Amino acid sequence: MMFAYYFKLGVRSLRRNPALTALMILTLAIGVAASVSTLTILHVMSGDPIPHKSDRLFVPLVDNGPIKGYTPGDKPDDDQASYRDALAVLKAPVGERRVVMYGIGPSIESPRKDLGAFSVSGIAASKDFFGMFETPFLYGQGWGDAEDKAGADVIVLARKLAEKLYGNANPVGQHLRVMGYDYQVVGVLDTWKPLPRYYHIIGGGGSFGGNDEVFLPFSSAIRHETGHSGSMNCTARGEPGYQGLLNGECTWIQPWIETRTAAERSDVVAWLDNYAAEQRKLGRLKRNAPNRVYNVPEWLEFRKVVGNDNKLSAWLAFGFLLLCLVNTIGLLLAKFSVRAPEVGIRRALGASRREIFSQFLIETGVVGLAGGLLGLVLALGALALMALQSNRISAVAHMDWVMLLFTFVMSVLAAMVAGLLPTWRACQVTPALQLKSQ
Amino acid sequence: MEIRPILAALLRNKTGAILVAVQVAISMAILANALHIVNVRQAVAARPSGIADEHNVFFVNIDSIGKGGPEQHLAEQKRFIDVLSSISGVQGVAQVGQIPMTNNGSTNSVAVDRKQTNETANAAFYTTPGNLLKTWGLKLVAGRDFQPGDFKDIDSDTTKDFTDVVIVTKALADKMFPGQDAIGKTMFFGTGEEAIQSRIVGVVERLQTQNAQVGDRGEYSTIVPIRFTNLGWANFTVHAEPGQLDRVMKDAEQALRKASATPIITEFKTIDETRKERYRADMAMAWMLVTVSVLLLLITASGIVGMASLWVTQRRKQIGVRRALGARKVDILRYFITENFMITSMGVVAGVLGAVGLNQFLVAQLEMARLPLGYLVAGSFIFWLLGVFAVYGPAWRAASISPALATRTA
Repeated sequence: MMFAYYFKLGVRSLRRNPALTALMILTLAIGVAASVSTLTILHVMSGDPIPHKSDRLFVPLVDNGPIKGYTPGDKPDDDQASYRDALAVLKAPVGERRVVMYGIGPSIESPRKDLGAFSVSGIAASKDFFGMFETPFLYGQGWGDAEDKAGADVIVLARKLAEKLYGNANPVGQHLRVMGYDYQVVGVLDTWKPLPRYYHIIGGGGSFGGNDEVFLPFSSAIRHETGHSGSMNCTARGEPGYQGLLNGECTWIQPWIETRTAAERSDVVAWLDNYAAEQRKLGRLKRNAPNRVYNVPEWLEFRKVVGNDNKLSAWLAFGFLLLCLVNTIGLLLAKFSVRAPEVGIRRALGASRREIFSQFLIETGVVGLAGGLLGLVLALGALALMALQSNRISAVAHMDWVMLLFTFVMSVLAAMVAGLLPTWRACQVTPALQLKSQ
Repeated sequence: MEIRPILAALLRNKTGAILVAVQVAISMAILANALHIVNVRQAVAARPSGIADEHNVFFVNIDSIGKGGPEQHLAEQKRFIDVLSSISGVQGVAQVGQIPMTNNGSTNSVAVDRKQTNETANAAFYTTPGNLLKTWGLKLVAGRDFQPGDFKDIDSDTTKDFTDVVIVTKALADKMFPGQDAIGKTMFFGTGEEAIQSRIVGVVERLQTQNAQVGDRGEYSTIVPIRFTNLGWANFTVHAEPGQLDRVMKDAEQALRKASATPIITEFKTIDETRKERYRADMAMAWMLVTVSVLLLLITASGIVGMASLWVTQRRKQIGVRRALGARKVDILRYFITENFMITSMGVVAGVLGAVGLNQFLVAQLEMARLPLGYLVAGSFIFWLLGVFAVYGPAWRAASISPALATRTA
């Protein structure tokens, strides 16, 4: 097959009618760019942040809302746990690891006098947080059972915060005033930014905008009566004071259970149902509502991490690409129909219909390639523009190799699909008619 | 005007006509919905928050205070108000528990009867030890502002004490007591036996909740004359004189730091910035849709121009013959414009169906709003006009073809 020859013909024909060609390539490029940039954002936002574990990490929730005003089937008031239920998860005899955590916004008084005091956002979590979410450590490590039991004042810093406070030195062992108390640094996390931030969706900047800078033991935060930074839902008026909060039914804590295999989900469900039944006997959980267990993809879907606006953008981009395709068909039709004499001569010289078909299809492929190149440049520009808008978008507006390849494939395929009708028309030309004088 | 010959010519040359009609249909379906969404988002982002002079108001959150207990916390909060009030260029200062449009704050269930099991509404909880209505310019439409005797300083760690009086927004008053005067009526925070009752003494026209949700839910707010002395933080809002906002903010930061014995953390923000952040996503979507709409029109126009140019080229001899037989330039022009109008009309009809269908999909899958008929009418006009403008160039070229072409063979 004369692929190389047809390819050269294709390139040469592009130059013959520059205005028409430019219009075709531009239209195709814009359509491809629009689709690819919105798809890239969607792709990053809906990616699985921890693929090898996402089906065996679970959020177990009971509904501890009041029975007054409740109709069976109503949505639960919150997707977090109360202190009592969170502790129950921590002690549960299921799974390899269990973590409870809540967002905090502590003040830091740096040893460096010039920095003064400032607030950071972080997490108060039990010891298995680091193992469960596989956080990379730059220096030191997390803490253990003893620190959890004692509510020890130890802290792990994120890399950026450690560099801000201590420069490039290893700060393990140093002391820091956190929330007015003296904490000891036991570890520094290396740069860790899973997208979406699936372990800390509620509050604290959300799944894409937030940054956790400190991690300290859950029991230590409770011991110091640290308030939450995030969302708390209270449906009954509890006793006043922090102890009242711990005894009451306000929900503000996020529980997680990790099992060894995905199949052990049934164990988690069974334990949760058992626990809820016991609590009902004690007079709690009056709603008798079904308990919920979400694995990571279900949790992301349930919390609508990929919002409606992003889906709208993706659909819009496809509609736009469709328009560009139809437009390209029209332009290609115009382009090929003026070449009828050329086709007539080639056919008269012996080219079969199939060879004419391949020639023109390859020509559309060349248009597709050119459109893909321009489309890629436009898409990168569009992503850069979108990234300027907000922190959230700039976190996800990055093209990886998959999307890059996808751009070219989509462009060439789109051009070829658009070219099918015009190409078929071109082959139908009868040589005899064309060879006569027009 | 002879429609039949034009129709006959079109039917013989269906492909090109169908392609143009399909482009018009797709464009219109997308454009109608896009413009509707832009309007909806714009309207949401333009809603007033209730603060009268937003451009000159800012707030500051001071953290890490009151370490010495409730009395010290109370003294510090009072001192901060004095410090802020004494800065030149300040029209009003108030301490307030939360700020609208910040997505930061708390709400309460409210009810009108202790026997209720369901809440009447969920309302934002603004607390202030005074001067809030004046600082924010909130308009009273009924009743009165708080009086000195109404205010309470409460340590919620040790007591369940609460306020006796409350000011509500008009939206909330209408929801709780439709058609009646809310002044003097009793409302309840919470439901059931443990609900706390309060007497409504004033109604303000508007104050959005801290989340500023779409719809009525974003307009239900309560203002109570309470200052909490056990929180460890405090919010203050300042109304500066026009043109002095930046300077007042700088002076305020210096003054506040000097006024506190222990290191404090301050975070300053203007209401303008807050508004921009709250509606950033909506405005971004609106801009993207506007860009897409412009591109849609351009691409459809280019499609019409392309196809019309092709037909003009293909029919040169035919046009020459017609001119030689006596057709005027304007007849040729009218021919092409009429032909284009028929094609565009087909596209518009399909586009109307497409727009409605697309809207059904958006309403069902993506929780968007229903498309009002006006957009379909507007869309039709836009594309008819677009068609006429796009085809004018090629049509004029056709009309300029000389009759002498009829006698030539090429």
